[in-house]
Amino acid sequence: MDKALQIFTDVYFNSTKPHLVVFSILYIIGQWKMLTKSGVKGFWSLVPCAREYQFARCANRENDGRAASVLDLCTMACVALSYVFKDPYILIFIVVLVISLDIALFMVHIRIYGGIIDVYNAKRSWMILWLFLPTRVIPALVWGYSKAYQPRMKADDIRTALDRILSSENAEVMDTGLTINLKQRAVWDFFHKKPLLQDIHMYIPQGHMVLLLGGSGVGKTTFVNAINGYEKGDAEIILNGRNIYKDYRHMLYECGYVPQQELMRSKDTVYHTLADAALMRLPVDTPPKVRKERIEEVMDILGLTPARNTLVQRMSGGQKKRLSIAMELISNPSLFILDEPDSGLDGVMAKELMEELRHVADTGKIVIVITHTPDRVIDCFDDVIVLAKDSTRTGRLAFYGSVDDARKFFECDKMEQIIKKINTTAEGGEGLADSFIERYPEVKNAG
Amino acid sequence: MQVEKRYRGRISQIPVCLGKMLRMFFYQNDWKVLPLSAAVAGLVGIVIRHRIFINMEGTLMSGLAVTSVCLWNGCFNSIQAICREREIVKREHRGGMHITSYIMSHMIYQALICAMQTAIILFVFRYIGVRFPEHSIFERNFLIEYFISLFLITYAADMMSLFISTLCRSTTTAMTVMPVVLILQLVFSGGMITLPKILDPLSDYFISNTGFKLIAAEADYNDLELTTAWSAVEQIKNNEISGTVSVGQLADIINNSKSATMQSVKSVQILGNAGETAGLTIGDLVAELSEDNPDAANLRKKEIPYKTSVGDLLEIAGESNVRSYVVKSTSRSAQRAAYDYNAGNVIGYWLKLAAYSLFFAVLAVIFLEFIDKDKR
Repeated sequence: MDKALQIFTDVYFNSTKPHLVVFSILYIIGQWKMLTKSGVKGFWSLVPCAREYQFARCANRENDGRAASVLDLCTMACVALSYVFKDPYILIFIVVLVISLDIALFMVHIRIYGGIIDVYNAKRSWMILWLFLPTRVIPALVWGYSKAYQPRMKADDIRTALDRILSSENAEVMDTGLTINLKQRAVWDFFHKKPLLQDIHMYIPQGHMVLLLGGSGVGKTTFVNAINGYEKGDAEIILNGRNIYKDYRHMLYECGYVPQQELMRSKDTVYHTLADAALMRLPVDTPPKVRKERIEEVMDILGLTPARNTLVQRMSGGQKKRLSIAMELISNPSLFILDEPDSGLDGVMAKELMEELRHVADTGKIVIVITHTPDRVIDCFDDVIVLAKDSTRTGRLAFYGSVDDARKFFECDKMEQIIKKINTTAEGGEGLADSFIERYPEVKNAG
Repeated sequence: MQVEKRYRGRISQIPVCLGKMLRMFFYQNDWKVLPLSAAVAGLVGIVIRHRIFINMEGTLMSGLAVTSVCLWNGCFNSIQAICREREIVKREHRGGMHITSYIMSHMIYQALICAMQTAIILFVFRYIGVRFPEHSIFERNFLIEYFISLFLITYAADMMSLFISTLCRSTTTAMTVMPVVLILQLVFSGGMITLPKILDPLSDYFISNTGFKLIAAEADYNDLELTTAWSAVEQIKNNEISGTVSVGQLADIINNSKSATMQSVKSVQILGNAGETAGLTIGDLVAELSEDNPDAANLRKKEIPYKTSVGDLLEIAGESNVRSYVVKSTSRSAQRAAYDYNAGNVIGYWLKLAAYSLFFAVLAVIFLEFIDKDKR
């Protein structure tokens, strides 16, 4: 067993042979140029682990890149451990682990190299060369340095011309209402910053009910999470004169967020669910009598009084939505955000629900609603926010204004047609997002 | 001037969270763990009732079984507790609920469940006929002390599972992970499997190991007898032994033996050819054949064939003496300082288990604080 172990450890951990070093250097040289061709900085090819991810980005395989980087990092950690621990049991464990990691890495590499072959529009037979280190040098150098091989798409971090064109003019901060000045909401995705939302500035007055429109994956939920401070961005959000980000611990009670799913304990009754919400969300010095009155009031507003002792699991879809809204409404928030509250409801129920929300807005609250079926309830809304993905797949403001102005701006009668216009052609849309994003500041400044 | 509103803090949120959990105990059938623990205790109790607290090997085997019952109960109590309502927790956290309050309320709620389960186990054991010892380090009822020990093992396992539940995104994942954790706990318990030297120090960090040592100490393991060796001897009592023995050896055995049988053999009169007594006993004869007598040297060397059984030999040597010797010497070699019944050991293990519980609860808080980072 010791001999077998020795062979394995030699192969895996002590195999730094001069010719392999030369191949690795040549591969790095070729990869540097390939990264540059795809708009990624070439120095990444020198950074172990990170280069896997950056190269996968060029292959339009980000997820595989992430996996490859992690696997590579784990393998390196195992190799390092093999120098520290010399006990046969630990070495056996490390060797088994490294073999498993290598198998996984090989599989991930097949996907990444498949992606790079697609991006370079090359023949599948190149795959044989890509799979192994000595032969991998050939395609890396040829594709990197030959002008005949050019990538179809770029993974560039360089922003589009929209960045220069767009006004980043901040919305004026008012004492009442909601002022949104969101410069950027980005996430660090492994080794690069990925902007999800960019340059969204607006002011929503009190008592307005606002429709938030946008195609799938444009960042509607990210936007509302950034507004109520749940996922902070590079932004300044002022609600009734108070900065939500700076005073989050208190302001979270001023912002009600109703998620898409009914997230409640199914074996609890309506009253208990609301009583718990009231205990958690009302000020601690609220007298029990006032608390109970508030529960009764909210149940009354949302038509839940007849179901007060019903278990959540026995309620209809519409009732569950109402209860979910009631849980947030109980604290009487100034800003009320609802993520697809009408999903799964028929037209009549959706209309009833939106009318109830309209009443809430009429009491001086700001109500922002995300919905994918806006036309059946459009009469309830004052304003429309339209978010669209630009050519670099970043969510941007394509429009904010009244419902009528939206119809004029997009030259269509129905809100659902707006979605079709701004969606990409791959999503079955007309792919006009960039032009609307570009035009909106001009129209806004002119107006 | 606007008066700043005050909302519920960490401490005042605990009763609210606890209230929800207690309601779920009744309405979401969380009470099912109680009859389940009675059933498990019953099954194990039947197996161990004539073994535990009686001898070393029985106590060791039963100790592992009791530890396993506690681990099993603890793990099943909370493995799904958080992951099954992760999205709800996320929403509540977003609405102002503190994670520390949530975990604290879980700690209280799970402590109540573990206490009920431990009481049920002890009741079932007693009902089935497990005879508990009389001793107690605090000069109170042994059952109180034993209750604390079983409770702490169950609770530590419970908190460990609660922590695992914070890591798992779904109940399916949690239920897949749990058997692996249980197997690891059993392997590292130190009760059954002898680990390679390199892995042995790791076992100190397992709840099962501490729990097992605690159960062994509570049973006063070191004061019990190891009867395995004597049982093996008893099983070969009827085995026949044949060979030769010299007259000298035989004479020495008879001379030196103090057993009653041998004494009666010694007093037997030797008869002459005509059946007359010469006033000579076998004792007198073997005394003549002693090593000190040079005239008997040749006779002592004479070989006599014999055919006997282990039982007969034991009878000659004195069975109770042999048993006492075998049991005492093997018991002594099986004693371990870790299983010694003293206040230092027992309280030490209690504190260690309490520390494990606290450690896993803290980890659960830390990991659950990242719940907002869950991918949508």
